[in-house]
Amino acid sequence: MAHNTLMTARPGKSGRPSVPPRPQRRRRTLSTSRSRLGAAVVSPALILLTVFFFLPVVLMLWMSLNRWPLLGKISFIGLGNYAAAFQDQDFLRAAGFTLLYTLIMTPLLLVIGIALALLIRRPGKASRVFQSIYFLPVVVGFAAAGYLWLFMAQPNIGPMLDLLTRGGLASHSDNWFGTFATALGIVCAMVVWKVAGMQMLLLNSGLQSIPVELEEAARIDGASRTQVFRYIILPLLRPTLALVLVFSVAGSLLAFDQFYIMTSGGPANQTITAVYHIYRVSFQGFQLGYGAALSALLMIVLALVSAIQMLILRNSDHN
Amino acid sequence: MTSLQSSLRPVPRAAWWIINISLAALFLYPFWVVVSQSIKSPAEAAAAPPTLFPGTFSWGNFAKLFTNENGGAGFIQQLGNSVLVSIGATLLTIVLSTLAGYGFARLRFRGSNLLFFATLATFMIPFQAVITPLYLVLHQIGLTNNLVGLMLVYTTFNLPFGIFLMRNSFAALPSSIEEAALVDGCGVLRAMVRVLLPVAIPGVISTALFTFFASWNEFFAALILMTDQSKYTLPVALNVLSSGTFGTLDWGALQAGVAVTIVPCIVIYVLLQKYYVGGMLTGAMK
Amino acid sequence: MKRTKLAAALALAASLTLTATGCGGSSSSDSLQASSGEEASGTITLWARDSQKGFMDILADAYNKSHKAQVQVTIVPSGNFVQKFGTASAGGSGPDVASIDLVYLPYFASTGVLQDITDEASKLPYKDKLSPSHARLSTWEDKTYALPFTAEASVLFYNKELFQKAGLDPAKPPANYEEILNAAKKIRALGPDTYGFTMAGQCGGCNIFEFTPSVWASGGDVLSADGKTAKLDSPEVTKALTFYKQMHDAGVMPEAAKTDSGTAQPALFQAGKVGMVVLGAFFTQTLNTDKKIDYGIAPIPGENGGSASFAGGDNIAVTTGSKNKPAAWDFVKWATGDEAQTLLAKNSIVPVRTDLVKSVYASADPRNEIFSKALETGKTPYSVVENKLFNDNNGPWATMINEAVFGGDVQAAQQKAQQAAQQIIQTGP
Repeated sequence: MAHNTLMTARPGKSGRPSVPPRPQRRRRTLSTSRSRLGAAVVSPALILLTVFFFLPVVLMLWMSLNRWPLLGKISFIGLGNYAAAFQDQDFLRAAGFTLLYTLIMTPLLLVIGIALALLIRRPGKASRVFQSIYFLPVVVGFAAAGYLWLFMAQPNIGPMLDLLTRGGLASHSDNWFGTFATALGIVCAMVVWKVAGMQMLLLNSGLQSIPVELEEAARIDGASRTQVFRYIILPLLRPTLALVLVFSVAGSLLAFDQFYIMTSGGPANQTITAVYHIYRVSFQGFQLGYGAALSALLMIVLALVSAIQMLILRNSDHN
Repeated sequence: MTSLQSSLRPVPRAAWWIINISLAALFLYPFWVVVSQSIKSPAEAAAAPPTLFPGTFSWGNFAKLFTNENGGAGFIQQLGNSVLVSIGATLLTIVLSTLAGYGFARLRFRGSNLLFFATLATFMIPFQAVITPLYLVLHQIGLTNNLVGLMLVYTTFNLPFGIFLMRNSFAALPSSIEEAALVDGCGVLRAMVRVLLPVAIPGVISTALFTFFASWNEFFAALILMTDQSKYTLPVALNVLSSGTFGTLDWGALQAGVAVTIVPCIVIYVLLQKYYVGGMLTGAMK
Repeated sequence: MKRTKLAAALALAASLTLTATGCGGSSSSDSLQASSGEEASGTITLWARDSQKGFMDILADAYNKSHKAQVQVTIVPSGNFVQKFGTASAGGSGPDVASIDLVYLPYFASTGVLQDITDEASKLPYKDKLSPSHARLSTWEDKTYALPFTAEASVLFYNKELFQKAGLDPAKPPANYEEILNAAKKIRALGPDTYGFTMAGQCGGCNIFEFTPSVWASGGDVLSADGKTAKLDSPEVTKALTFYKQMHDAGVMPEAAKTDSGTAQPALFQAGKVGMVVLGAFFTQTLNTDKKIDYGIAPIPGENGGSASFAGGDNIAVTTGSKNKPAAWDFVKWATGDEAQTLLAKNSIVPVRTDLVKSVYASADPRNEIFSKALETGKTPYSVVENKLFNDNNGPWATMINEAVFGGDVQAAQQKAQQAAQQIIQTGP
């Protein structure tokens, strides 16, 4: 009640003519000082965001219209960088690979995430322990995880390769980083190990928000486990799925660390992602303008993809 | 209750245990590799094929890390850099996002909704896209190759999530508490600090953990913005270790480095997972 | 409120553009001479590559003991050197002195990062006795931007013990493609863990150093003399790639070679597990310290004999961004003097002073004779886009070699690389 009074006590918008003027003035002063305070406490964060985020975004758009070498002269070239991007075979290949990687990882992570979430649904302490174990790799960084797995699969000295050799599935001198499929496979395995726990967690909390009565009612009506899953659980899981997918896809489209560290883009540049290419263009080729244009394209694609996903998946409130 | 439990348990008990234990073994195996490789003696660590269990216990690989043999600049310094930058970014993020979260939740002002939405929009812009112009901006201010600059950048990266979390924390609290404090004569700010903050502490801890992990593990920006080896953070230091000196890669030392990098995170996670997980879920469920 | 923010952002962006266009010129004094002829003083920073770690500290100590000015050495990983040095220079946080792989000199000279030292260099008493390849690479538009510092040449290393075991004559190293192939096969036959030859399959810089001499010795080239035309599709390159591919197909190379960015190759030879590698003089320092391998050195042969080498090494320069140019120049000058170059020779590094090479260096070890010969006839490509073209591990040169040798279609790899290379040359730095 007091809250409402405060909210309606805006200049010129008083809806209570019977309130005596003195308290009203005090409320207006209070709300003005409150809103000034509000602006004040919000501004430090906003200043940081402006300087280190919004400003660079604007600058990026400007840079993308210039030939902007790190060392040397800058010249305006309009949409030249964008035109060049579509002729750049390396960029197109990187974009294509990034899409492939995303298409592989997204369903893979989702399926494993759901499987793990279903596994730890059972109430009890054991579930909590297993949940912690599956989530543990999430707090390890991509760099550390990358170097760890790079070692595990290294020819001759890698322990994982050694175990597989002892099991007859490989040989010590195999170089898994030498062929595209196996190199990609190792990286995907590492990312699944590292990220599945997070997906499990989010999906599990989504599962927990589904009322058990629905499931029970369906079982009583004679539905099989798979039918319950398909017709009750999945649709109600949709908002959670939307969220998980948006972040999963974004993460895959922006992949860099794991490829830089584990494959160095190899073999023969076949595992260079879009961000990796931007890194090479900007910080090894020193072409900042072109790098900015590629970054802008990446940003647009990401926004589009996320928007589409949200649109398709968010409309879920029918039972 | 029994029938409910049976409908919730699609997998029979024994199978459940077998599956979980096998999966747990798979998930924990890489950690075993890091630990066992680090504590092997340097000679054993270089063995090809590798030994299954460490034959002897040795600090040799860590010793190599911390003397200047590998990489040139001291690994201890790089560890210190990571600590400094991560803790600094965490503290700054907590303070700024708590303030801003409170402002957005409780102290409405003209345009606050628009600004909040703008803050959320940053989720959609990946910092990888922004790194090129960000580098130029930092250069203008003179903060490239500077740990404070890196700290500010990490704070900025984590502010959106932090603001979102804290705003939700404050918005979820009933205004009656705040009103009561105000009636008692506290100024608005004091009301916030003394009454609301203690209740919003879980959100603060979650923000802190999230920022700490993100900053400790961040690789891309640190790789680009730091040029002096003495200013590298741990992930970049690992990169230096991996290129070796004179072209020979010391895998034992590299794994020791990986161990140093991941142990703090694991310890913190195990101790505070309630807050980390809780925060993530609150943040995720808009 | 949003509009004013946008305007402010654009204004800042505009000011950044203007400042950035004007950047490159330094505000500090351009004079290399200390004021009123007194000795240079103060502290200067020096950046060097990790392959120079062994002697850089020794050199710095010697300088610091006998000079007022003090030099501080920072070692940068080779693979990151161009990126780190370029970024730091652009950001104003670069070193006073830089020891740079000579192939990058044209690029850095052309972008205004290095101080013009033409006048001072012409006053050096031994200016005609400096390695011609190094001097050529330090010159941009007829001005000198760096002095030669350390020399390097690529040669064929071979393990004498393995040669003997395989029934080959350790005093007669292979002298053409066929002999290398045969020797490699025989050594490979010695055991499953012993290889005949190895290379760094994913390393551009390694291969411009190690692989190109085969092309040169067969009479071809990979780049025109003026650096404007790539020659990656020439027949000599085809023959050299095919020769390496034959070695791979015959199984004399380890599988790990395909993804080796340069770290496994020397380690394998050091461990006595491979018969032959192509590496440089820096490697002798490692082997001599190790004392485990009885190694021989031979010139790199071409298809039918002949020999060639990549004349490499480092040049040392004063940066335009240096705040203490007199001290920086003092060190650079000292680094090419008798004391420094002799110190280098004693540490198994090839000096750049042609007068000292024979007297100090070659006499130290009979094997060094090969290096001094190699340096005399060594070649170096001259290009302002050297890094993007050759040294980049993901660039056309590295990709071509990786695809041709380990993949299959040599000519297709060449075609693709040639196109990409020419494109890079056209775009410029």
